[in-house]
Amino acid sequence: MTVTSRNRPLWAAFGWILLACAQARADTAAQIIARTDEVRNPQQPFHTTVTLVEYVSGRARDQDTLAVFAKTDPRTHQFRNLVQYVAPPRDAGKRVLLGGGALWFYDPASKASVRISPAQQLVGQAAIGDVLTVNLSADYSATLLGTESIADAARTQQKCWHLQLQAADDLATYSRVEYWVEQATYLPIKAQFFSDSGRLLKIAYYRGFSDVLGRTRPTQTIIIDALDKSLATVATSTDYGYQDIPDTWFQRDYLPHLETR
Amino acid sequence: MTTGIARDLLLLGLAWSATVVAQSDGDLALIPPDSQSPPKASRSGSGQNIHLENALTGVSLRNDLPVPAQPSYDWQERLLLDTRDTWEVGRITRLTFSDRLNLRDESDLSFPAEESIVNDLREAYAEWHLADQTYLAFGRINLKSGIALGYNPTDYFKSRTVSEPLSADPTVLREDRLGTVMLRLQHIGRRGSFTLAFAPRLQRASPIYPNTELPSFNPLLGRTNSDNRFLLKSSVDLTSGLSPELLIYHDTRGTQVGLNLSMTLGQSVVAYVEESVARRRDLIAQALDFGRATGALPTGAPDEPPPSPGASHKNELAVGAAYTTPGRITWNFEYHLNQAGFTSQDWNRWFTIGGAPAAPAALASELWYIRGYALDQQEQSTEQAAFVRADWTDAFGLNLELSGFVNVDLRDGSGQAQGEADYYLSDTWTLGVLAAGDFGSAKSDFGSLPAACSILLSLRRYF
Repeated sequence: MTVTSRNRPLWAAFGWILLACAQARADTAAQIIARTDEVRNPQQPFHTTVTLVEYVSGRARDQDTLAVFAKTDPRTHQFRNLVQYVAPPRDAGKRVLLGGGALWFYDPASKASVRISPAQQLVGQAAIGDVLTVNLSADYSATLLGTESIADAARTQQKCWHLQLQAADDLATYSRVEYWVEQATYLPIKAQFFSDSGRLLKIAYYRGFSDVLGRTRPTQTIIIDALDKSLATVATSTDYGYQDIPDTWFQRDYLPHLETR
Repeated sequence: MTTGIARDLLLLGLAWSATVVAQSDGDLALIPPDSQSPPKASRSGSGQNIHLENALTGVSLRNDLPVPAQPSYDWQERLLLDTRDTWEVGRITRLTFSDRLNLRDESDLSFPAEESIVNDLREAYAEWHLADQTYLAFGRINLKSGIALGYNPTDYFKSRTVSEPLSADPTVLREDRLGTVMLRLQHIGRRGSFTLAFAPRLQRASPIYPNTELPSFNPLLGRTNSDNRFLLKSSVDLTSGLSPELLIYHDTRGTQVGLNLSMTLGQSVVAYVEESVARRRDLIAQALDFGRATGALPTGAPDEPPPSPGASHKNELAVGAAYTTPGRITWNFEYHLNQAGFTSQDWNRWFTIGGAPAAPAALASELWYIRGYALDQQEQSTEQAAFVRADWTDAFGLNLELSGFVNVDLRDGSGQAQGEADYYLSDTWTLGVLAAGDFGSAKSDFGSLPAACSILLSLRRYF
């Protein structure tokens, strides 16, 4: 069939409907990610303690504790983070800042702030970007691939949206993310993280769903190294609390001034 | 036929579903079984770092040096107590203290002797939170600037601060250094910050101490505070991720202007440039002037090798990038330029003069003094160099951190290489081994150094 003057309006209407459907589908994906961001992270400034336990072949090997302070930037709607190592003693006092569109690492021993990339390793299998509080909707553009029933970390089947996230800026830790979100609650269930070349780097499962600062949120993330599957890191967040955090805390030069006790 | 196709499609679909389920189940099987219960969050003094370290070093020395040098130790044993701590006093005052006490024995020292104990008072200062994000600090402060890893042209307070380092790694040299007595005012705003620092002259410049004559309990103000020095630096957030830092530094030798700029490229790369420009004399002239002024060289010491006449604008530059691989190794690649450093002509003269059969011993000492001066100032002795460093935390999935670097003189291809392995026996014990070596022909920058290679074993206990 060729496009004639008679059926041209029909084609135009069909095209318009297709475009509208595609737009509606894109909007839905963005809305899902925005809703799951709200579920994962309190939207008011807050602090939490994150404990990272490294596992090798299923056995706990090492443990690190971090204090995290997070606040959204009203301009970008992205979280700014200030992270301080609390334990072990050899790392205590080291700090990481995500603010102003950049990541900085501060070592009190050298008094130096060094700019780092999101992929740079923090401890164990966790990259810095894995531990920071982020709004995925600000760093990634989302596409809804469909709905699936998948097993969560407790091996319970969950009806999920399956989304694909594509990095929208340089602060996104990964080039591409496959993300599964439970449909009724918007709780994240599983994620797969990919490199620029499309290589699967990490698999994450979310669990420990409990009431935190007014709603049910995941408090534990299991990060499995897809390159060496004997390695895993479990990040557990505790001691949540709202805190008034001044904007100046997220300046690089504030890093040495962070109150340490 | 249609039924057959339908059956095949059904089987294919089931097989695909089984694959997906198997893969999903496979992922679930990777969850550590005993990770369900929340761990107990541990907490140590986050402002405190105290450790005791024992370090044993063996050095292989070269026999036939093109320019004879003073003998050096071929083994050294050190016990170090390293302390860093901060205290909040009231709501607006913070006290900071950082110190390293060394007990040492080495092949060129008798033991025990006064030189067996060396105390490095790195920092001792008070800081007051004056007003909204405005801070005033006074005391001995380690004020660090610069964003490059291997060479920091804008780190204006680095000169003469390194005391008996255990490692040549630039990241370690930044830790084991003395602060400068200064008054520092800092304001941090929402879109940037500025720092103003004044370091007064408190003592005459002290000579460069040989390793065997280090004072035991001496704050070494003749090294850090022998001149009136001013620094103004400011950083501004221009756009997302771009916050250049501008610096203006002044001392009796003149004014230097510096710039630090960095940006993230993708998820794994950070690019950076650090630059400083000043009107000054070359390294040889500065070294000879300093040696005569401090009495290390006689007043009538000859200008050998001949320095460039007069001062001119000289550029110092470090440009590079850091890249983190999917395997979690972070690489830094840098190019370094120091226009005040030795030119090819300077190197040729250095070897020709020092290697002449009739060259007096005093002349050889003078030639080594110039290179010792560059080291003392933490200034790159040659004009152009390349630097590569790698760091692998959690190497091979073990509690192991591997790091290493290579620094190459681009004129002659000689270089310095170092590899280090730290194994974390527990949260509080670390076992380390470090191997370093200089390579190149006998008449090259690094090939002419007295130490060919060294190995260091260390055991560290954190408290």
